[in-house]
Amino acid sequence: MRRVAVTGIGVVSPLGNSVAEVWANAVAGRSAVHRLEAPFTGRLAAPLAATANFDGAAHFDGPRLRMLDRCSQFALFAANQAMKDAASAFSVAGSDADRERAGIFIGTGMAGSISMDDGYQTLYGAGSDRIKPYTILLGMHNAAAAWIGIEHGFRGPNLTYSTACSSAAVAIGEAWRRVASGELDIAIAGGSEAPLSCGSMKAWEALHTLATVDANDASASCKPFAKNRSGMVLAEGAACLVLEPWDEARSRGAFVHGELLGCGLSNDASHITQPSVAGQAATMRAALRAAGLDAAQIDAINAHATGTQANDRAETAAIKDVFGARAGQIPISATKAMHGHLLGAAGALECVLTLLALRHGVALPTLHLDLADADCDLDCVPHQARHGLALRKMLSNSFAFGGSNAVLVLGAAPPT
Amino acid sequence: MSTTHDRLCAILLKDFKVDAAALTPEVALESLGIDSLGTVELLWNVEEVFRIKLPAEPVRLLTLGDVVRYIDSLLALQDDGAAGGTLAPAA
Repeated sequence: MRRVAVTGIGVVSPLGNSVAEVWANAVAGRSAVHRLEAPFTGRLAAPLAATANFDGAAHFDGPRLRMLDRCSQFALFAANQAMKDAASAFSVAGSDADRERAGIFIGTGMAGSISMDDGYQTLYGAGSDRIKPYTILLGMHNAAAAWIGIEHGFRGPNLTYSTACSSAAVAIGEAWRRVASGELDIAIAGGSEAPLSCGSMKAWEALHTLATVDANDASASCKPFAKNRSGMVLAEGAACLVLEPWDEARSRGAFVHGELLGCGLSNDASHITQPSVAGQAATMRAALRAAGLDAAQIDAINAHATGTQANDRAETAAIKDVFGARAGQIPISATKAMHGHLLGAAGALECVLTLLALRHGVALPTLHLDLADADCDLDCVPHQARHGLALRKMLSNSFAFGGSNAVLVLGAAPPT
Repeated sequence: MSTTHDRLCAILLKDFKVDAAALTPEVALESLGIDSLGTVELLWNVEEVFRIKLPAEPVRLLTLGDVVRYIDSLLALQDDGAAGGTLAPAA
């Protein structure tokens, strides 16, 4: 197996649309959660979201834009940024053989749900049969990955993973496996989600998983690991990584953001929504095995930590199960308090934050953790970032409805 | 009243990135950057603007003039009351 370097990062997210902006906001502990203003918010019990400041019209011309759901717009923007950042030797003018060793791996939970929602509004709301001719192209789950492939000329595997909230972590993990095994020489991997339509927000609301509005401060509504946590806040955005074999990246003098050391996948096989402590623990162990590491070598964790009662309690127990007596000494960051839950893109944005945390030696803060919960009694880095840490290896946890879990293991890039 | 050609060009200029000077009856849709998929979208807009309903039968439209003649033929049929039916007015 080859070592895998992250040579490019691209983001569009509630915390910003560049790596620098995302990192500055994350370290400062700025919550991007806010009251959502949209025509339908009067119909929502808790009109909260974390939105990306992103206008597709500023990035794509009219004919192109009409073929891109917001999810694909995010994905293309993030992939383009990541490719520019990587400045790899890959070229669309390269040989077929080279281009076939370039793959794309994108996670999304709901893909073009805004476009589908628009279509249903036309059909059922307006009672019109004039549904947009591109609705299928806008709504299909593999649209984002397909557009990235077209844009960058990658002709290898073009795969879309939809495993709810672990989609992006699964996509990144599968890309890692193929670059590590030697099957691919370059991969764009990440996730994208644009779930802030009336239909999808009402559906999430109906499941009783969304946070209530904090009466004093709407931006503090998502409170992972806190006793008074009330649920998750939906968010939108995308993040993409460029992965390349470590030795090649180093030999061409690429800036390496960090190392992707491994990925563990497993399934709870127990309940469609209730997380399983055993399942989450098994996934973390699988990730450690894939990376060839012992639990003692993990310095910090970016938790899945959605802010629901069930997830945060189960994840705490799972971390204790894997890390034993050391569990309480490991900084555990729940960054969804800041950027909300990007669903199928969450694992990608959190992977980026984990790489940046490793690079800067910072444990990101868990905001709004004022009321401790005896069931979540780990070191959750409350309120403020912790600087000056020697972080070498971290986990980034992603757990999903359906029990499809994925955990990534990331490493700091040693100085060149 | 503007001609079918003018109204069609207005759609093209508004929704597609085309050069106004290129909009002659003989110009191929492909050369305007409008492929078969783009033609589907163009015709969807044509239905709205001309308030006609396109028949389900496939039609071969290669040039701007082909589209103009197609629209005119449908408008004529519609006036005769024999077309697939006009669209209901927008709400």
